[in-house]
Amino acid sequence: MHPALSVIIFTTFSGLGYGLFIWLTANILGGTPPANDQSVFATILSFVLVSVGLISSTAHLGHPERAWRAFSQWRTSWLSREGIMSILTYGPMIFIGGNIYLNLGFDALIKPMAILGLIGSIITIFTTSMIYASLKAIPAWHNKWVIVGYQAYALASGGVAYIMIGGWQHYKVVIALLLVALAIKIMTWVHIDKHRGQYKREDALGLPDFGKASPFEPAHSQKNYLQREMGYDLCPKRRALMRWIALGCGFILPALLLYIGLPLAPLITLICLGGLMAERWLFFAEAEHVVRLYYDKESV
Amino acid sequence: MTCLPEKTDKKLGLLIDLNICVGCHACAVNCKEWNTSGITGPAEDLKPYGDDPSGVWYNRIHSYEFKKEGETDRTVYFPKSCLHCEDAPCVTVCPTGASLKRSEDGIVLVNPDVCIGCKLCSWACPYGAREYDTTGGVMQKCTLCVDKIYDETIPEERRVPSCVSTCPAGARHFGDFSDPASNVSQLAAENDARDLFPEMETKPVNQYLPPRKRELHESRKLDHKVSNVKDALIKWAKLDFTG
Repeated sequence: MHPALSVIIFTTFSGLGYGLFIWLTANILGGTPPANDQSVFATILSFVLVSVGLISSTAHLGHPERAWRAFSQWRTSWLSREGIMSILTYGPMIFIGGNIYLNLGFDALIKPMAILGLIGSIITIFTTSMIYASLKAIPAWHNKWVIVGYQAYALASGGVAYIMIGGWQHYKVVIALLLVALAIKIMTWVHIDKHRGQYKREDALGLPDFGKASPFEPAHSQKNYLQREMGYDLCPKRRALMRWIALGCGFILPALLLYIGLPLAPLITLICLGGLMAERWLFFAEAEHVVRLYYDKESV
Repeated sequence: MTCLPEKTDKKLGLLIDLNICVGCHACAVNCKEWNTSGITGPAEDLKPYGDDPSGVWYNRIHSYEFKKEGETDRTVYFPKSCLHCEDAPCVTVCPTGASLKRSEDGIVLVNPDVCIGCKLCSWACPYGAREYDTTGGVMQKCTLCVDKIYDETIPEERRVPSCVSTCPAGARHFGDFSDPASNVSQLAAENDARDLFPEMETKPVNQYLPPRKRELHESRKLDHKVSNVKDALIKWAKLDFTG
């Protein structure tokens, strides 16, 4: 699949934003809320990251001005569900930040709102992952590792951002989460590498009993929309490089720097986000759509 | 609404006979012609006379060479357009309701006034039946010529999709697959009709008839003793007409 910057920013930034908000709400509920100004900063940062992600996701639309229509088909569409959940989760986010910053005095509601914010964030990340995991036509996405992975990457990167805001006491948990996320990413790659090639061109043509099929002459002289959107070719060398960048910057380096105790948490957060963007670039670039069977791929 | 209808009154679709198709592209051209002024058209053409033309086609004609041990190679022309699936994944993923499957006849359509151009439906379709119109910012696809097949101002025999009416070889058939007595149902039943990509569990309505088994008439079978051109020439040079 063509790795479009708009969706890479959408999934990584909103994941980081919701991950950070999960850390904040979990700490509020666990009785270890950060200082007021830190809580306000955490909610503002979550809000900005989630909003940048959502606005970025509208950048690839043909009609961004009709984006509001995307809230209507929650019965069947994970994209619609994602849109609704992201808007709903703004409620607790704005409430918690606003109540503390403006000193509104609704302190009794903070904990219930934190519960809603925590659940809302987890569900929103889940719906984002399901947009991809529900697509049977893209085997690299149609598996449970995508669902587990999106939660893990959001929680781990959110944890790094939470340390930046002042949650240093949690550094061991964040390191553990980074290592879990690392393991999940490797397992995802093992899974997709193992299952690559499960669908054959002859299956796609409905003619599995006629021998081996190969394209004879192209259906059209120039690349069409399908080939531009879904025909991304990733050479093995670049894949290896990007996989190392994703692992190194997304998980290993942040864990190492946190372990050393480097007092440069903003830098560590940026490294982690950069690594996750490389990871998300690969998520698209590595995913082969079965429509390629009709074109240049013998198996997907 | 992107919920799929539990049951459609009719299952209108195409039956494409791969044994007959000669790969002339007439169906694709006439499709383009009709739909350029059709309800979801125009199907864009960018730089049509330039070095790098591109555009939207609802129907494209692929071709494949099949090789099988013990058989001669076989060329199969393969027209591919929307299959109007019963379990259409392109419909259920649509966040806006622009993508829909009609309960009366099962035709899958895109409402261009509601589509936001998110392209997710084209990701969900395993067949590559949907193409993005960069000019209009919306997704386009085969309409089964819905603006032709119900048009009472044209003679009844012409109320078929334009790809069907134009096929010079008679490889394309249009009809109601829910009616066991229809032309398409009967042809499908008699000829080992195939679903494309059954592994994707989309239950396509359109069906394909596979190339038939070939049995050469005795007179057409090559005599392998003289099939070698060199041997044959030598025999002729010797005026040897045996075998």
